[in-house]
Amino acid sequence: MKTLLSKNKKRTLFISLIILLLSASGKAFVSEDNLVRLQGLEGKWQFSIGMNEEWASPKFNDSNWESIGVPSPWEDEGYNGYNGYAFYRKKITVSSKYKDRMLYLNLGYIDDVDEVYFNGNKIGSTGSFPPNYSTAYNAERIYYIPAEYINFDGSNLIAVKVYDSEGEGGIVSGDIGLYGGKTAANLDVNLQSTWKFQPGDDFRRKESDFDDSGWSEIFVPGKWEDQGYRDYDGYAWYRKSFVFHTTTGNEKMVLLMGKIDDIDQVYINGTFVGSTGTFPSRSREEASTGQEWEAFRGYYIPDGLLKKNQKNVIAVRVLDTGGDGGIYEGPVGLITQTKYIEYWRKIKKEGN
Amino acid sequence: MKTKHYKYFTFFTLILLCSISANAEDLRKIVSLSGNWKFSIGDDSRWSDPTYDDSGWDQITVPGQWEDQGYNDYNGYAWYRKSFRIKEIPSNTTIYILLGRIDDVDIVYLNGRKIGSSGKFPPDFKTAYDRDRRYIIPADLLKENEENVISVKVYDSYLSGGITDGPTGIYIDEDNELLDLNLSGKWKFHTGNDKTWKSADFNDEDWKTINVPSAWENEGYEDYDGYAWYRLEFKIPQNFPSGELYLSVGKIDDIDDVYLNGEHIGNVYDLRKKSWMGVQYTGWEWTMPRAYKIREGLINRNGSNTIAVRVYDGQGLGGIYEGPIGIMSAENARKYKNKHHNNNGYNSFWEYMYDKFFGNDNSNND
Repeated sequence: MKTLLSKNKKRTLFISLIILLLSASGKAFVSEDNLVRLQGLEGKWQFSIGMNEEWASPKFNDSNWESIGVPSPWEDEGYNGYNGYAFYRKKITVSSKYKDRMLYLNLGYIDDVDEVYFNGNKIGSTGSFPPNYSTAYNAERIYYIPAEYINFDGSNLIAVKVYDSEGEGGIVSGDIGLYGGKTAANLDVNLQSTWKFQPGDDFRRKESDFDDSGWSEIFVPGKWEDQGYRDYDGYAWYRKSFVFHTTTGNEKMVLLMGKIDDIDQVYINGTFVGSTGTFPSRSREEASTGQEWEAFRGYYIPDGLLKKNQKNVIAVRVLDTGGDGGIYEGPVGLITQTKYIEYWRKIKKEGN
Repeated sequence: MKTKHYKYFTFFTLILLCSISANAEDLRKIVSLSGNWKFSIGDDSRWSDPTYDDSGWDQITVPGQWEDQGYNDYNGYAWYRKSFRIKEIPSNTTIYILLGRIDDVDIVYLNGRKIGSSGKFPPDFKTAYDRDRRYIIPADLLKENEENVISVKVYDSYLSGGITDGPTGIYIDEDNELLDLNLSGKWKFHTGNDKTWKSADFNDEDWKTINVPSAWENEGYEDYDGYAWYRLEFKIPQNFPSGELYLSVGKIDDIDDVYLNGEHIGNVYDLRKKSWMGVQYTGWEWTMPRAYKIREGLINRNGSNTIAVRVYDGQGLGGIYEGPIGIMSAENARKYKNKHHNNNGYNSFWEYMYDKFFGNDNSNND
């Protein structure tokens, strides 16, 4: 049983911790400081208790659903005493003038667990649904919306699946809206999606034919503390298979891994691609880490490693030495070197 | 790649370097390379080609980290390119390019040919962010009164990246004026230790070549510590000045044994003031200027001669790393040593301090 008081206390503690982190580092991860509010999304959303996979799809007709106010606990919107699953849906139009920016959906604070879809594509998840329930009521939800999912100047559907264990439930507070960040990388392969995830350390996990079917799933990017691994520090591996559809020639590709807390080693099809930070030579040794968690990762992929129009496997070994952990900020995906150069030229121009 | 700790370490190293620099080689800048360079992130082997069209590239100021020039947060590969003209290529000297310090790893091309490299690129990444970049420019590579193109490939792991600070330009070593015969350039090189390698008639045909003077870490032997041998065959030109001759092998990291035509002519401890009752003072060998007397009749004035230098490097940079390299008169050898030595036989303030702390007992017995 959590009371409002303890919640607020925790929240205050959390916010002061963030402030402390930001002031100590001078550099923020995706925080509102870097983001510009483009469009508010407060007000009436379509709402239904229950759960159905079809409700995430833009095709589903929600016209006979109820409208409720967001942000607000659903207890205050006529669902007093309700605990369990519910869906929120809202249509938005995104102007094409935002096309070159990284766009984010800020859903404020959700009690307890959520999974967010944009036009039917999952863009993020925080907390962990039953049976491995874990709340994330005190985490601010800011999700990157990959440009390829956006229907610019047309209708777009946001669908939010929420699970509330007890007490207040729903999209309870925050500055809900569409936010713009820096220039977007025009990814050729977007890898911001669900990955396979397993704590612990084992080098066989880098191999492309390693069997990860028993692993759990995690959304990338997003720190693992918000996805069912609260207080976990140490080693973990991420794996993702994808088909590299390409019509281009033999252009050099760059793997963007965004930001990782704290250090990482990345393999494609079993071959080492890049690393940030120094791993201890034996896993039992203590690692010394500094500002690696703030470094933006762009790994140049050795020629001939990516298999065209076939399955490829990325494996990422991560060591978190304390605090938040994991691949926590995007962009994550593949981009041609030519477009990557353009991307940085734009960022430079934007900064001046 | 540096954490705060490293920064303090760098600061300390800088202080150390400043105090030693009074004794360092006399470099004179002949072309400045600071200012605007062409710049692109990414990596492409064609970018070393002097004819590559970089007109669409971005510009960047050198020296200066790229994070301060619009590329905040960028980590990975990037290339720098710059062209320059030189009116008159100085002859009979050693020409260097200095590129300050580069964070973390670099490889440098002049007119399309590799002239040096520091650190290791991924996958076996190793930073060299705190090392001064100084590479020999082979004289035949420079074009007089034409465009010369330098291309620098840089890899930065994280934090500050690029050609970050320090002197950048084309330099000549003024100490070379002391030489009657300049022997810097390509030598034969082999790691390991074998006493037969000292002899004049040893066949070193299958040995690798290396630039002298240049730390072997700049020449592709990034992690190498231990023994290695250098060899060079040379001829004395006609009308060479008569009189007592010295062989200068400049500065060596750490310990050397120098042979001419198979005969041992010196090692660093011969140069040390032996004032401590036979107890050899060790340390700071790498700061000692080496010029060894060539005994009358040893040098062949008409045919070929062979120098063999055995080097032992304990740690860090290694090899014959600083000139002048060649034959000089007794007077110039004295000038060279005086210039780089103080009268106590100490080579630097630090060497002196080291001795005061660790060599006390010996000096009392003196």
